[in-house]
Amino acid sequence: MNSTTTQFVPSRRMGLYEPAHQMSMWGDFRLDSPPPPPLMLEVNANSNNQSEDTFGASHRNDQEASKPDDKVLRRLAQNREAARKSRLRKKAYVQQLENSKLRLIQLEQELDRARQQGLCVDATQLAYAGNTNPGITAFEVEYGHWVEEQNRQVSDLKNALHSDMGDMELQIFVDGGMRHYFELFAMKVTAARADVFYIMSGMWKTSAERFFLWIGGFRPSELLKQVLSPHLDDLTEQQRLDIVNLRQSCQQAEDALSQGMEKLQFILAQAIADGLLREGNYLPQIGAAMNKLEDLVRFVIQADHLRQETLQQISRILTIRQAASGLLALGEYLQRLRVLSSCWSSRPRDVCVSKI
Amino acid sequence: MQKALHYRDEHELMNLRELVAEKAVVVFAHKGCCMCHVVKLLLNGHGVNPAILDVDELNEGDVTEIVGGAPQFPAVFLGGVLFGGVEQVMGAHISGELVPRLRQARALWL
Repeated sequence: MNSTTTQFVPSRRMGLYEPAHQMSMWGDFRLDSPPPPPLMLEVNANSNNQSEDTFGASHRNDQEASKPDDKVLRRLAQNREAARKSRLRKKAYVQQLENSKLRLIQLEQELDRARQQGLCVDATQLAYAGNTNPGITAFEVEYGHWVEEQNRQVSDLKNALHSDMGDMELQIFVDGGMRHYFELFAMKVTAARADVFYIMSGMWKTSAERFFLWIGGFRPSELLKQVLSPHLDDLTEQQRLDIVNLRQSCQQAEDALSQGMEKLQFILAQAIADGLLREGNYLPQIGAAMNKLEDLVRFVIQADHLRQETLQQISRILTIRQAASGLLALGEYLQRLRVLSSCWSSRPRDVCVSKI
Repeated sequence: MQKALHYRDEHELMNLRELVAEKAVVVFAHKGCCMCHVVKLLLNGHGVNPAILDVDELNEGDVTEIVGGAPQFPAVFLGGVLFGGVEQVMGAHISGELVPRLRQARALWL
């Protein structure tokens, strides 16, 4: 503490002589409120280095002897209380750690038992570590390349449409664009077999894309409604009708798949819930559930197949130029979703002080 | 005894063949299969009520005879002919081929 900044400030309202070095920092505003205990401790620690104008001075005012002592006693009590609360918090935290340790031991035991029984258990899914599934790691790398190629194709398409390129050349871009999506669907099938939950949760996508997720990808009818229809203005009547019919067919197929998924969820939940509260272990239920999960892979495959069929049907309905525009619109739309995700995650946020 | 059994099996197979030939739309599936549910809903959407045959209740040999070796279920028959699985039905539904095929199989009259 810098002794030159200390001054002896009488607190008129309480008739006390307050230790004033911290008062000088806040001026008159803090005259009536007692300093928080830590400062109190600080003052105590430094009192031997200070001049008579500090805390030590208050001892020498005998006519006020009892009141300063009350203040001191109150602060000491507050200190004790704070220390007590701190100890309780620490105790609770240690308790939580102990519980976690017990659970970990329990999980490891279950894992050993399951392994002995010959069941296939993926330890990484039990632990909270990241995904170490090689099939998924490979997929993520491939997907990174896919997005890069996608961005290249989008700018190529843009240039192609603004140039006076003929239909023959444009067809090459359209075919390339379609093929690129079909390659993604093929990649997803392999990845779904490696970890279907990963695909179902859309883990490889950005957060905004995941918001629109339907069975591991985009919803074809939404694609038609939001991305294509509003932006193809030179459609013939027949084309308009065909697109309306296609959208309807998509919706029907999506509904059928969605209802099938609900049934699968029901069956899966039933399998897992079978025999709750009963004696014995739950490994038979887990085994039954694992079998049912094979069906989930089929759903991912069929949903991607629906996407592929829809894209192919669109390309049959539209002219080459319209198909190129459509592919460009879709590519830009997905790009915007990705940008939205990164903008959202990096937006400035107020730092909140935790109130624990 | 052997001969009687043989006759009965043949009889069952004949019944199954007749059933497939008679009904406009027949679906072979495992009970509780979710994909079968999907196919059924797609067909219902067209106003078609398919005959669902539970593969687990049938003689495995008979099924293989009719549906073929290494069959995929659900297996859809239109007008007595194997059309395909959920993928084929979905594809035909999107491309618009399903309705004509249904009409051809006399599943639809409109």
